[in-house]
Amino acid sequence: MASLYFLIPVALLFCAIAIKLLLWAINNGQYDDLDKEAWKILADEEPSANKEPSARADPVDPEEKPS
Amino acid sequence: MPSGVDYDVVINGQSQPMCCPGCRAVAGLIASGGMASFYEQRTAFSLRPTVETLEQESNSAARHLIYDDPELAATFTEQLDSGNCKAQLLLGGMTCAACTWLIEQSLLAMPGVKNASVQLSQSRVDIEYCPEESLLSAIFQRIEALGYKARPFQSSAQREQMSGEYKTGLKRLAVAGLGMMQVGMFAIALHAGDIQGMEYQYQALLRWVSLLVSSFIVLYSARPFFTTAWRHLRQGALVMDLPVALAIGLAWLASAWATLSGTGQVYFDSVVMFTFFLLLARFLELRVRQRNASTWIDLEESLPPLVLVRTDGQWQSILRQKVEAGDTVLLKPGEAIAVDAQLIEGNSAVEESAFNGEELPRRVQAGDIVYAGTVNMEASMEARVLGSYRDTRLALLQRSITQGEADKPALAMLADRVASYFVAAVLLITTATAIAWLTIDPHQALWISLSVLVISCPCALSLATPAALTAAANALRSAGVIVRGENALESLSRISHLVFDKTGTLTEGELTIAKIVTLTEMPEAEVLSLASALQQHSNHPIARAFEKAGSNINFDSVDYEIGAGLTGQLGGYCYTLGSERFCRQYTPACPAPPGDKLYWIALCKNDLPLAWIGLSDTVRAEAKEVVDSAKAAGLTVELLTGDSSDQGPSLAAQLGIDTLNTDMRPQQKMEYVKQLQCRGAIVAMVGDGLNDAPVLSVANTSFAVAGATDLARTQADFLIVDRDLHAVLNTWQKSRQCGRIIKQNFAWALGYNIFAIPLAAMGFIPPWAAAIGMSLSSLLVVLNSLRLNR
Repeated sequence: MASLYFLIPVALLFCAIAIKLLLWAINNGQYDDLDKEAWKILADEEPSANKEPSARADPVDPEEKPS
Repeated sequence: MPSGVDYDVVINGQSQPMCCPGCRAVAGLIASGGMASFYEQRTAFSLRPTVETLEQESNSAARHLIYDDPELAATFTEQLDSGNCKAQLLLGGMTCAACTWLIEQSLLAMPGVKNASVQLSQSRVDIEYCPEESLLSAIFQRIEALGYKARPFQSSAQREQMSGEYKTGLKRLAVAGLGMMQVGMFAIALHAGDIQGMEYQYQALLRWVSLLVSSFIVLYSARPFFTTAWRHLRQGALVMDLPVALAIGLAWLASAWATLSGTGQVYFDSVVMFTFFLLLARFLELRVRQRNASTWIDLEESLPPLVLVRTDGQWQSILRQKVEAGDTVLLKPGEAIAVDAQLIEGNSAVEESAFNGEELPRRVQAGDIVYAGTVNMEASMEARVLGSYRDTRLALLQRSITQGEADKPALAMLADRVASYFVAAVLLITTATAIAWLTIDPHQALWISLSVLVISCPCALSLATPAALTAAANALRSAGVIVRGENALESLSRISHLVFDKTGTLTEGELTIAKIVTLTEMPEAEVLSLASALQQHSNHPIARAFEKAGSNINFDSVDYEIGAGLTGQLGGYCYTLGSERFCRQYTPACPAPPGDKLYWIALCKNDLPLAWIGLSDTVRAEAKEVVDSAKAAGLTVELLTGDSSDQGPSLAAQLGIDTLNTDMRPQQKMEYVKQLQCRGAIVAMVGDGLNDAPVLSVANTSFAVAGATDLARTQADFLIVDRDLHAVLNTWQKSRQCGRIIKQNFAWALGYNIFAIPLAAMGFIPPWAAAIGMSLSSLLVVLNSLRLNR
């Protein structure tokens, strides 16, 4: 049981590190938009694969898109 | 879906009907871009696009060209080291996370756009683009083509504050959550020790570390409860935060004393759990509200950023802020006017819906004054600037909105009323317990009185309101109503008056052909066809009424006399179309218009009057039903309109609205609602226009209907996304249901306390039972609130 004197401070230290990291992430703006990131995993389209040619009027056939 | 129109779009191989050309253009763009999955994934309906932005696409393209001006672009873009530029745009009309995806995907598909990232919470998009390959005007145009609105992002104090509030809330919640896990872990050990025995030194160790962690949580996470309670207490108001702060503060103090003195009971787990639950509920409520808080707040931002000013005999575009009184400016047709100015030359019509809500323009000529925020409809004008933005009539409107917000009467919220009784009762019972135990067993008096305080912890009580509000707001969202205002649902559940604006709210807000009275043998279809062909050459809003009719007649030549009418040559005949006075000039024989209360224009051929065409603003199909059910439900329905014509009374008679006020300026509307409130009425206002914004801000609760101006949206507590007025009553019913749920929650929470406090006063409740009781009663409140989602 004496190990508690060592283990509890270690747990508190980990907790402090976790809080520190979390606060850093929040300040960094990583939690600013909670909906979008959750939603992104459902939209698995490759953004770079769908650059359209420079002419704006070019209609793109939806069949040819990567799903 | 309106009948008799055909705006179908093929989405995922299926033909889907659309309600208007605006929606068709947006849906067509989305489907052809391979982004139809937007429709499967979105969680809220999109706002209806305004028709102007799409119908006159070439016009809108020209409008965006100003953003390519380097001086203007510099105000919201920055040059990156890589040679690319980063622009920040403010977006309007985003309703759910799927919108952010749609915007990002369509922007990334444009050439030259390197990165696009939308922030829903700030309605902002950050775009990194290569200035050689891509133009800002094209980016703006693409966003508008998708049905959203874009505008340069300028950071404002309010936006900063909102984002700060969100971040601080999340940080406090995160710290409380992590801390709660730690303290909870120690608490389980302590509770187990209570039951099966534990060595004193380990118990002391666990108590000391719990004290350490919970002190941090109480000081950091729970701080807003203490500050709010204290702020209100100094003003003599008792709010829900007071019992919360008392419970947290006293339970923590008692536990800290128990730890220091090595006696009694500790309640650290209850303290932190309570803090966490409450922060969570409040954070979720804040998030629902902020997500819908539109940031299109500043009227000044909505004016055109560039103005054509004559310098050294030449027209030059300069930034609006640099225009000075006395400058000569050129006002082009179809553009919003950016300054208050007196006309020097020119003859046109200005649409002043900002000030009177009406679509029919006012005729202006040299010497007249035109106002910032109105739209020049017909021809170029030269004008002398009267002053800076601060002196304009538009700025006055904005100031009266601020005034309205300040004057909005605060309804005492149920939670706060309950709170004051609750605090008194708890303090009374605790004192009584202390006195009773002092006579029975002075040794235990302190600890038992403290356990009464902890047991009476208002966890369920303080969760009752935010949980119900959040659930109701989510339910309304899926029904097409966005809740924006704080406490709006609670105010709505208690309204006595429902006040409507006329144009654009009860009516469609656009003129349609109501009646054709032929004066000769000529059939109606031919009259219509001739009139439509002539109207194609007009910029007057009346012309829009004829667009649907279409025509295959081509006039040899058409002359447009601004603000009066049209003359056209066809096969040697001269046709005239216009007001009575205009037609008399060509056709003295023109008779007086028929008696109906419509907006009449005449069609004549040489000196032969052919027909009278009557135009009117059609009443929304469901308006009568909504007004009737509101009256049946016991609400007083009134009509407030800026229109001075006899359209108002005839509409009121048609819908059965008894109280009506016409010819009201925005400030007068606001004063009228204030008077109603003075007489004890609780007013819900339904409006759409810029001119309704002040009255929306002062009413106890307010709705902006679909197609409302941005400013009206920012002032309204509820936004109706689809075009159905029934949503007003449905929201009202939901708010009443929400009110009932809140009361049930209160009843349960108070019932729990009434049951548990006597047990605690008799000394029967150990800390672990207190923790379980608190969690269970809170859970029940949350589950009850979730019923609102059905």
